[in-house]
Amino acid sequence: MRLSRFLLLAAASVLLPPVAAFADCAPIKFGVTDPLTGPFANFGKDQLQASIWAVNDINAAGGVDGCKLEIIAEDHQGKPETGIAVANRFIDVDHIPLFYGGFSAVVKAMAPVAERGKTLMFSVGANAPSIAKLGDYTYTSYPLAEVDMTAFGKYVHDDMHKQRMAVLYANNETGIPGSRVLIENFKKAGGQVVMDEAYDPAQSDFTGLILKVRAANPDVIHVHGVNTDIVTVMSQVRQLGIQTQLTSYQGAFSDAYAKQLGAAAEGMTVTSLAPSADQNPNVKAFLERWQKEFGRTANGLPYTQYFYDVPYIIRDMVHYLHEKNLPVTGENLRTALLAVKTFQGPMTGPTTFNDDHTVNKPVYVWHVKDGRFQYVTKIGE
Amino acid sequence: MEYLLTLAILAALSAVLAIGLNLVLGYGGLLSVAHPIFYGLGAYASALLTMQANVPIPLAIVLAALGCAAASVPLALCSLRVSGDYFVIVSLGFQLAVLQIINNLEITGASGGLSRIPTFAHGSDRNLICLGVLLVAVAATLVLVRTLVQSPFGRALTAMRNDEEALSALGRDPVRMKISIFALSAGIAGFAGGLYAHIFQFLTPSQFGIETSTALLTMVVVGGTATIWGPLVGALLMTCVPQAIQFLDLPQAIGGPIQGMIFSVLVLIFLFLRPQGLMGGSRGGGGLDAWSGRRPGRSSRRPDVIVERLAEEVGS
Amino acid sequence: MLDPSILLQLAWTGFANASFTCLFAVALSLVLKVNRIWNFAQAGMMVCAYGFMYAGTRWLGLDVLAALPIGLVSTAALGLALERFGFRPLRRRGSSSLTFFIFTLVVSQLCTYLAELIIGTESTTLIDNVVTPVRLIGDVAVSDWDIWATSTMLVLLLALAVFLKLTRWGQRLIAVADSPDLAELYGTSRDTAYGITMVLAAILTTAGMVLLGTKAPTVPSSPLQEFLLLALLATILAGVGNVFAAGLAALLVGIGQGFAVLFMPAQWTPMLVYALMAVAIVVFPRGVKLPRIRWRGVVLGAG
Repeated sequence: MRLSRFLLLAAASVLLPPVAAFADCAPIKFGVTDPLTGPFANFGKDQLQASIWAVNDINAAGGVDGCKLEIIAEDHQGKPETGIAVANRFIDVDHIPLFYGGFSAVVKAMAPVAERGKTLMFSVGANAPSIAKLGDYTYTSYPLAEVDMTAFGKYVHDDMHKQRMAVLYANNETGIPGSRVLIENFKKAGGQVVMDEAYDPAQSDFTGLILKVRAANPDVIHVHGVNTDIVTVMSQVRQLGIQTQLTSYQGAFSDAYAKQLGAAAEGMTVTSLAPSADQNPNVKAFLERWQKEFGRTANGLPYTQYFYDVPYIIRDMVHYLHEKNLPVTGENLRTALLAVKTFQGPMTGPTTFNDDHTVNKPVYVWHVKDGRFQYVTKIGE
Repeated sequence: MEYLLTLAILAALSAVLAIGLNLVLGYGGLLSVAHPIFYGLGAYASALLTMQANVPIPLAIVLAALGCAAASVPLALCSLRVSGDYFVIVSLGFQLAVLQIINNLEITGASGGLSRIPTFAHGSDRNLICLGVLLVAVAATLVLVRTLVQSPFGRALTAMRNDEEALSALGRDPVRMKISIFALSAGIAGFAGGLYAHIFQFLTPSQFGIETSTALLTMVVVGGTATIWGPLVGALLMTCVPQAIQFLDLPQAIGGPIQGMIFSVLVLIFLFLRPQGLMGGSRGGGGLDAWSGRRPGRSSRRPDVIVERLAEEVGS
Repeated sequence: MLDPSILLQLAWTGFANASFTCLFAVALSLVLKVNRIWNFAQAGMMVCAYGFMYAGTRWLGLDVLAALPIGLVSTAALGLALERFGFRPLRRRGSSSLTFFIFTLVVSQLCTYLAELIIGTESTTLIDNVVTPVRLIGDVAVSDWDIWATSTMLVLLLALAVFLKLTRWGQRLIAVADSPDLAELYGTSRDTAYGITMVLAAILTTAGMVLLGTKAPTVPSSPLQEFLLLALLATILAGVGNVFAAGLAALLVGIGQGFAVLFMPAQWTPMLVYALMAVAIVVFPRGVKLPRIRWRGVVLGAG
């Protein structure tokens, strides 16, 4: 969205509605860092917006035992170097006990900083399996690639009745692990992977690759890209006259992409790790709120749902510490996390933090129909 | 405090790099922009040596530096075949090619990067320890460069920069000199890379690309090429200014681009208004153009000058 | 995989998709030939062209063709400003190649940041839907975009060739390229020649960006990160001074990358570009020598 509008709305959304006087306690600050500029900003900005709304809603309902929550937002531009600087600033300048954000490469860069500073860090949205092994102070509130791609591999074979899959994936931290899990599970379900190849997401001409796909004669083509390369690859598939079923993961869940693809997007099937409006009335209200304020659906809607839920997890952890009369530090928050373990999120339902630093969630399937993403089913239902 | 220490660490690392680059660029007159790739190679080599072969960190860093010195030889040999503009492009191509390789190899973690690299400093004072080590490295590099520049080798280097043919005529071997200077500069960069890896414990290929090249070049240019203190001053300035901008509390959506713009405008100002850099002399000594080989006044429009130049061109 | 229809498809789509790279390469090579500068600021010109076209199509709601003058004028203005306020003072000072390199690179970065500030950093296109209608000619899929792209490229190249060979100012440009001093002696203002070259480069660049923007989503950082390098490679392969050969080289590299995927993993094809560049610079520093074809007394490919 345009700069001035964003600034205006960001300012407006931070203004709190009139609330009852809070008990005399300092606001509990935490950090949110996302790409607010750079090629991934369309997702990052909406994710931050969701968190801002959650904080406003929590504060309006009385905060955490009367104490306000407060976000300190920083832009990591999608760059690991900037992420490290942001993490350092959060810890040493803002003195916050917890921060969270998305984007695999940046999360991995920030993890050692969080570890050294004994500051709790949540990864939200990044799906590289290695995120579960980044240290004692890094947890993910978002399921890693093993969750959705395991279920989807089976779903594509058993429910979509596909036998021959071709997989094209971005040659990076997002594409490589995710596609591997999918391939493994599609094969386990009895399918055949006729072709799989990595590509450089910066390329603009995928003809050769797509012709290789065509020669392998698949009945489903899965594109595990990272950003606009998803659109470029899919558009070129259709441009070469190939009408095969297209699939992707949650990273393709964007109405903007569907629009850019036009008729080529029809039938594209993707996974989502967040419930739809039909299953969760909070989501319905969330969608209406987006429509009302911004005249559209959130970019990467499921990710924004996760970003909305994190402040509620924080609220519950802080509440635990208040009950135990413990100060709100990174170390104590970590203790609270492990003690409470399961948290209720208004948008994504219950989140249980496993001992191996992973979370499990149901996997949903959506597809593009008449130019928009529409809910299909929950896998396993 | 920790935040300032981290900033100081980054500035010190940049200073070591910039001083090394100045050796090849400012003193050697070799237009290489590939410096960051030796930084990156040193970082990855040192990290992998400790992670895969359990080599102690200090030894790994030294080995990485030596490895980078060796890796610079192909590039140095290229500089013998091509020069000037073309060499800028060769070095750029070399840098991007090596980055692509790193980006595609599993052992380097590919584009996802290498994380959980072992560190040599632990505990609450770790940043202080790291800064200490780096300050020693900066001082050592400065002393090394200063000694070299003021030695007979340094004088020969200046002569080579100004007129290579004359130098050959005097019996000195420019080939050996070019290779030595590249190796030394690359070794310094590799050493800095090793330190970086074990301080920040995370590496991705994107940290060593064209943006880093530009950043380093601007440090050298702003500070003053072919000066001892120039790169240090440039590094301090170019590391601290972008961070200072962060504290201006600019709206999130424009912070990133504004930072970049201020940086770029600063460079342009220096390029045009003070080409000799902050530490360069007012008479142009120590500037990028001081030795470009073109004599002042060559762009004269006077017909007699033009005819004279044409005669030279035809004669050559 | 080596079916004739596949090879033909690869050749056609490679050719069409390389059309904008061809235009960028010709622009870069032209400025190198006449102004004698490796114009890394061309990425900045590309961003400028795209930015103004975006403003015209998305903010003013104009058709791509209607918005074209906006893109052309703004990019030409940038090109002229670069020459007048950038290259000319540096040239007069006798600046080194590295100064030009830093200057042009930083200008490109500045343009990129400005574009990120003004139009945002998200990926955008100049038209709503980048998938255009396709028809089969034989076994080869040919889309509408393919046809726009190839015809635009051919028309512009022809126009440039006619300008350089047959018009007075075109011949003056060649004269300045060969010897600026001699040309000045004969009354050609080299500054005017340099300015005209930048305008020509702006036209080619704008056209290329329009093609790109109607084909794939773009972000402001794409020109500097991706496309400039391909133009650079083509220019090196062709050698300094061979403008149309640079265009041909860009087309061949584009088609070649497409074919390469048949024999090597796609993730390694970018390496090809660098490998070619290395080989080209070290083994053919003056460009790959093509056989000189004479047609009615005119050497094709020269100039």
